[in-house]
Amino acid sequence: MRILKSIMRWARVKSPWILHFNTGACNGCDIEIVASLTPRYDLERFGILLKGTPRHADVLVCSGPVTYQTEDRLKRIYDQMSEPKFVVAVGTCACTGGVFKGCYNVKGGIDTTIPVSAYIPGCAASPKAIIDGVVKLLADADKGEA
Amino acid sequence: MHSKRGFKIPVGPQHPSLKEPESFSVALRGEKILGFDMRLGYNHRGIEKACEERTYFQDIYLIERICGICSHSHSTCFIQAVEELAGLEVPKKALYIRTLIGELERVHNHFLWLGIAGHEIGFDTLLMYTWRDREIVMDILAALTGSRVNYGINTIGGVRRGVTGEESKKILKAMDDLEERTKYYIELAMQDTTIIRRFSKVGILSKEDALRLGAVGPVARASGVERDIRRDDPYAAYGEVSFGVITDNHCDVYGRTIVRLKELMESFKIIRQVLKNLPEGAIAVKAPRKVPAGEAVSRYEAPRGEDMHYVKSNGTDKPDRVKVRAPTLANIQAVKHMLKDRFLADMPIVIAAIDPCFSCTDRIISTRDVDTGRSDVMTWDRLREYSIEWHRENGVDFSKIKTKIR
Amino acid sequence: MTKSEEIKNHLIKEFGYLEPAARTQGPRRIFMEAGADKFSEVFGFISEGMKPVMLSAITGLDEGEGLGFIYHLSRADGVIINLKTTAPKTNPVLKSVTRYFPSADVYERELRDLFGAKIEGLVEGNRYPLTDDWPAGEYPLRKDWKKKEVKDAL
Repeated sequence: MRILKSIMRWARVKSPWILHFNTGACNGCDIEIVASLTPRYDLERFGILLKGTPRHADVLVCSGPVTYQTEDRLKRIYDQMSEPKFVVAVGTCACTGGVFKGCYNVKGGIDTTIPVSAYIPGCAASPKAIIDGVVKLLADADKGEA
Repeated sequence: MHSKRGFKIPVGPQHPSLKEPESFSVALRGEKILGFDMRLGYNHRGIEKACEERTYFQDIYLIERICGICSHSHSTCFIQAVEELAGLEVPKKALYIRTLIGELERVHNHFLWLGIAGHEIGFDTLLMYTWRDREIVMDILAALTGSRVNYGINTIGGVRRGVTGEESKKILKAMDDLEERTKYYIELAMQDTTIIRRFSKVGILSKEDALRLGAVGPVARASGVERDIRRDDPYAAYGEVSFGVITDNHCDVYGRTIVRLKELMESFKIIRQVLKNLPEGAIAVKAPRKVPAGEAVSRYEAPRGEDMHYVKSNGTDKPDRVKVRAPTLANIQAVKHMLKDRFLADMPIVIAAIDPCFSCTDRIISTRDVDTGRSDVMTWDRLREYSIEWHRENGVDFSKIKTKIR
Repeated sequence: MTKSEEIKNHLIKEFGYLEPAARTQGPRRIFMEAGADKFSEVFGFISEGMKPVMLSAITGLDEGEGLGFIYHLSRADGVIINLKTTAPKTNPVLKSVTRYFPSADVYERELRDLFGAKIEGLVEGNRYPLTDDWPAGEYPLRKDWKKKEVKDAL
């Protein structure tokens, strides 16, 4: 309980900015990411804000397997983020390629292209799992362990 | 990009030398769209080929993930074709359960759409309310199938789970709640001048053009085209339930909103009938591992429109060919037509109104003014901001909304 | 007689050569085949004479020696006429049907990218669904195509 309180305090102070990028997903995880901002789950109470620009993002939240179309754009977005930066792979496809592993237009999970700091499995990953993963990552980051 | 009034909207590339292919390329004259082209294929994964390399049973899980929001639609459509090839007689109870899940999917889809539409025009309160309502359906789906998304309820020959009396009662109660919410949204859509203003006469598609361009789903029905696979080419339990095919004659985004809202009311009707008349008996018949050679064409009225699957079998346990034509692809030509001679500021809502099944969160738009030669690149978020600001300049302001949000 | 049988007979009456390969499957599915030389006239007859009709999709098939193309024509009464034509793999030429159905544009591009079909009359435009830098001559949905070649090339 004390850990949760300190996470919440930290998050409110730091207010991390999140950039969401879909590299070729079925939209299942994307919908759940957006759902985590809606009243039932309310990601914003942790001070986490979803933003549209990589230049100020602290955390890149990725869904989907990397397709050859989106590979360059993903690399570019990652390069534009300033340190310290973290990448969260949301959903089984982002982690390993999921059911699409082996498909001809799919390179694989996010870590085939950029380094990943946290993996949140699930097909689709539920909002609870997403929030849990992001908050844990930030707590680790604060401690210097991410 | 400068508006005629002289204020500057900060649009621009995320990176000055952005070279990857833009998703949308727009030819402009000032603020008006002369021509519009889309580049699709971002989430082309190679599913059809992968289907040939996996068994029919494995393919169920792959096909379900073509689209996370229409997953049951694709899964059922595919399985119907396979069952036809295998000559299986699927138990009635399974057909009813497929219908139940299908309609629940339509309900959560249309609520989702309503929220996204609100978000696109700067009315984020609508997003919060509709997605909160949507959670009621997500809870039901999670309880019935074990998952909020990608339910895995189908198997070749039937379904994998039944519905208990207890679950049935909960669903019926939820339908009552959602019906109240839907009536409220219908009232909002019909009375709120701001919404009417943003949605009316935008994305116009005449009945003639809807037919000529092959539009499907709510887009076609909002242009007066009475086309619904559930009635025209019945599948699952649709031959045994009564429901109306909703059409509207506004031929614009407003019409598409009304159609989806009224379709929600029909979905509640269907769900109640399905639960009331749920047959007894088995939930699946045994399916053969090897499917006799043949071909079958299956269709399904997904929330976005006609979904079509073609399956060719060759006597083995793997399909010879699987072709999937998702509904959004059929509406591409209609969208191109709708945007011609329209303001750039209308682009977000017009595209959102076809309820596109490709992620719109990170699309790159490149614009080129044919007169000045000036070109710009922007992200979808920037385009949305531009659109909201443009309309605010033109008097549309949601802070003045009269109807009270409950 | 089912609706599909009725329509099948009507089409055979118009074009006798359709008979050998024509069959119905259930009350709302017809399968027919017309060679390259006859395809246009049957397609035109259905598209113009059975309105309102919609082209739901075009399915490409690798049939070994040749490629098959099934045009799925959906009528308002729910019946689908699946009209197939074939072309040799060495020269798979098709005429665009966009003048009847503008929506065919994206379906024909897909046949080009995935099967290597050559569509006469298709206007300039973006390819679909493969990337611009996809190696030429690689058609993923052909049976003899393997993923390995592309991975190296890209």
